[in-house]
Amino acid sequence: MRNLFAFIWKHNFFFLFLLLEILSLYLIFAHNRYQQTVFVNVTGKFSGAVLKSYHYFTSYIYLKDANEKLAIENAWLREHIHPAFLKSDSKQFVLNDTLYRLHYQYINAEVISNTTSFRDNYLLLNKGSKQGIRNHMAVIAEQAIVGQVIAVSDNFSWVMSVLHKDSKISAKFQKNNQLVNVEWTGGSYRKGEVREIPKHVQVKAGDTIVTSGNSNIFPGGIIIGQISDFVDNKAENFNSATLMFTIDYNRLAYVQVVIDLMREEKENLMNQKLPGEK
Amino acid sequence: MLILKNTVRFVFLILLQVLILNRIHFLGYINPYLYIYFLLMLPFATPRWLLLILAFFLGLGVDIFSNTPGMHAAASLAVAFIRPYLIKRISPAEEFDPRARPSIVINGLRWFITYSLILITIHHLLLFYIEIFRFSEFFQTFFRAVLSIVFTMILILISEHLLYRKK
Repeated sequence: MRNLFAFIWKHNFFFLFLLLEILSLYLIFAHNRYQQTVFVNVTGKFSGAVLKSYHYFTSYIYLKDANEKLAIENAWLREHIHPAFLKSDSKQFVLNDTLYRLHYQYINAEVISNTTSFRDNYLLLNKGSKQGIRNHMAVIAEQAIVGQVIAVSDNFSWVMSVLHKDSKISAKFQKNNQLVNVEWTGGSYRKGEVREIPKHVQVKAGDTIVTSGNSNIFPGGIIIGQISDFVDNKAENFNSATLMFTIDYNRLAYVQVVIDLMREEKENLMNQKLPGEK
Repeated sequence: MLILKNTVRFVFLILLQVLILNRIHFLGYINPYLYIYFLLMLPFATPRWLLLILAFFLGLGVDIFSNTPGMHAAASLAVAFIRPYLIKRISPAEEFDPRARPSIVINGLRWFITYSLILITIHHLLLFYIEIFRFSEFFQTFFRAVLSIVFTMILILISEHLLYRKK
């Protein structure tokens, strides 16, 4: 420190000049509008360029943070826009099916997500247990089969489509009530397979296949599709046929969930012990 | 005596500059800046720090009246800073009388013109470029500065002549 002062004292002329000159320049830039503007412009350009390149580098470092913040904000915003609110019209209509003396209720639901391209396809509906949907309920659209409910949450339900390897629907010919099974073997989502057609049944292209009503899941008489291709296979005990689904599953938008009001009664009856059974 | 004389010069030159010379506008825009003559005339023995202080207040005095804070002060300071080195450089080896001031009589016309012309040029160029503060009018500014330098130089020679005659 002493050395510093000694140095300054030794060169006092220069330092005094420097001090006074700086003071003058300060006066110039502080009190002359034009010089001030130029000064600010030039220094602004310089500092701007430096800060810009600094920001250019640091922005990469903070990119992750920024993205997270944006994602959170987006989620918050989405919660507040119109489609975020669940449109729950709890309309239910009752179909009094006099022919089978069964009492079905239908719940309209919207398909939120739907696939047709996988081996196992599922649908997500915008209604759940709060709207009365329970597990194992049938799902239909335009009076044709869609699938069955396999999982339910408060406001959503998860539907196993007919286009699923575990989907095996008990069906029958509409013309003569011959029981068959309908499966989906994968591939085109428009085509299913009708199995276990008894040999004596005359099959023609255009025959309509409907649900049998034998299972507790699907009511009887729901259209599945029409036979499109039939080959009489001499080597097998049963014939098979190709079936064209009535519905284009790829453009499902609204479906109905079927409530079978007598299902519990049926199940209780079937679970009853028969006389003499231990 | 020396101090009084210089104080009078100091005040007189500032007043002359701001009251008369700043309003000449010869040919529309050429002003002489004769106040710098005060710095040129200070005795050889003036302490260098005093030179700087005086130059600063001289310039500031002109600035205050011409509403250009700092410009004349900055230019004058440069003159005061260079003056000792310049004198050392252009003067012959022998020592001057410390109480004497640079003048035609003592140093000769040629020396005096060299001495004042260099300092005036430095002062005027600085002053003009600080005032304009842009390079786009570089040669225009330079031309104006040169005209003012000539003007100031002539005035200084006339003053020097008058003072010399008075003695």
